[in-house]
Amino acid sequence: MAALSAWRVARVTPLGELNAPPRMTGVALRLLVQVVLVASLWHGLYSHTGTTAGLGESQAVTYAVLAVLASRLRELDQFAGRDTVIQHMHFGTIVYWYLRPLPPQRYYALRALGEQVYGFAWALGGYLICLAAGVVEPPGSAAVTGVFLLSLLLGQWVLHYIMLATDQWCFWALRNNSAILIIIFAQNLLSGVYAPLWFFPDWFVTMSSFLPFQATLNVPLSIYIGRIPLSDAAGQLAVQAGWVVVLALFTRFLWRRAALRVVSQGG
Amino acid sequence: MSGSIEVHGLSRVFHTTVRRPGVAGALRSLVNPERVAKHAVSDITFDVAPGELLALLGPNGAGKSTTIKVLTGILTPTSGEVRVAGVVPYQERERNARNIGAVFGQRTQLWWDLPARESFAILRDIYEVPKAEHAARLKEFDELLDLSSFWDTRVRHLSLGQRVRSDLAAALLHDPQVVFLDEPTIGMDVVVKEQVREFLRHQVEQRGRTVLLTTHDMTEVERLAERVVLINHGRLVLDGSLDEIRRRFGSTWQVRATLADAHTDAVALPGIALLRRDGPQVVFGPDGPEAPTVNSALKAIIERYEVTGVAIDEADLEDVMRNAYAQAGAAA
Repeated sequence: MAALSAWRVARVTPLGELNAPPRMTGVALRLLVQVVLVASLWHGLYSHTGTTAGLGESQAVTYAVLAVLASRLRELDQFAGRDTVIQHMHFGTIVYWYLRPLPPQRYYALRALGEQVYGFAWALGGYLICLAAGVVEPPGSAAVTGVFLLSLLLGQWVLHYIMLATDQWCFWALRNNSAILIIIFAQNLLSGVYAPLWFFPDWFVTMSSFLPFQATLNVPLSIYIGRIPLSDAAGQLAVQAGWVVVLALFTRFLWRRAALRVVSQGG
Repeated sequence: MSGSIEVHGLSRVFHTTVRRPGVAGALRSLVNPERVAKHAVSDITFDVAPGELLALLGPNGAGKSTTIKVLTGILTPTSGEVRVAGVVPYQERERNARNIGAVFGQRTQLWWDLPARESFAILRDIYEVPKAEHAARLKEFDELLDLSSFWDTRVRHLSLGQRVRSDLAAALLHDPQVVFLDEPTIGMDVVVKEQVREFLRHQVEQRGRTVLLTTHDMTEVERLAERVVLINHGRLVLDGSLDEIRRRFGSTWQVRATLADAHTDAVALPGIALLRRDGPQVVFGPDGPEAPTVNSALKAIIERYEVTGVAIDEADLEDVMRNAYAQAGAAA
């Protein structure tokens, strides 16, 4: 029965999206436009050079396109379904999260998992099309594929906790719009969505290594394109796993404190 | 113990920061915040028996929602003891969750993007309700609330009345012993209101559920509640029957009687004053704090005098409550 409830809760986002075909069309169009533009941009940047920042043209294009596709893994689908923490705080419906025999932290995790799996289906579909069209290069070997997938899993786990901490901020500030804007910008810049981190100056790369963002995308994508060789991957995976543990403990602490602050309703 | 609510000496204090007026005041509040303690509820004691419907009344800001939030386990009391179906709600939230259902006015617990029936299925699995039991209960609720006419529509497209009916069903699908309803019919039209009242009556009388209802709709109170707890400024003002509340605060009834013999001497009766007389027409009203209810007064008048006709002007519950809130406010 617990598995059933997990399945039901996890599928809320995919079901909501399937009930809204215009939203799905919008996502498909956005991905198409972004992939075409990003691929054109990076081909253009490499038109007069062979290798920059240790990346060849096909590596850079593959990295950039995969970053676009990966950004679809975790979108704000819950917002359309009015099931984000900020919306529940605004409408006073957060109380229901505390009135069910399913703890809010487990409910949140299941919803995020469903959203992530749904996003993964989109990303995978886009990847296969790009691969067939020759826009992205396949991974170097089966071993690279395996390590990449493991690194991607850890990276998404880190991203989940970053988003969770941003949502938990609502229990104190009632809203997290500014925090989300900062996080999205930092995430896109410091994880390599805008441009691979290898293009930034050394001090920037060093600074990024102390933050969790680069663990979300830069590490798995660099493994995929071979910029991080398999011999160096173990250390990177350990850093990612370290971030998972640290952020898990931190957000667990925040959940406990948040439970004392469910005061969004009138008295 | 099963299905009962016990509240003893409940107090809840919130500590808030006072924001001083103006820009300078706001800056001062930033540098030197002034913290004040707000007593949302103070030393409240009452019980609700299993299968009883109690109306928890009071003006806005009286402390009703805070009381409900403590009873549902969302808030921890500053002092006092609370038990709901034998469980201390804020200590055993999950166990308490299985015993209670709650509807908070227009705040829906349904999933906005999904059809209402899909929300029911999610809740069924969360509460681990067997499928056959769930189907039977849903059928019963459908008969009472006419859910099937809209339960395949996405919640975002439902009208307020349809949504609240769905929310009521969602709150009761796991067969809770105790139900908390915080202004469940606010903003609904009279037809749907009556349908919801009928549903609640059925849940109390036929299913034996304990219901704690807060509302500002006095018709609802009159139709559903036999007992009322009135709180104001966080303090309990009255715990008694509707008759009692009328007797204490509803001193505006008048009985106009036409005497069979216009020459009969009309005098005041115990607790009943003779207000005026015009030939055979005599007007009686309540006299003092021990005045009887209008029904008792009517009985006493008919027993004492031979009358050919009577008319009653009675303050409705709305007037009574207005009076009660005003007196309770003055006392506080």
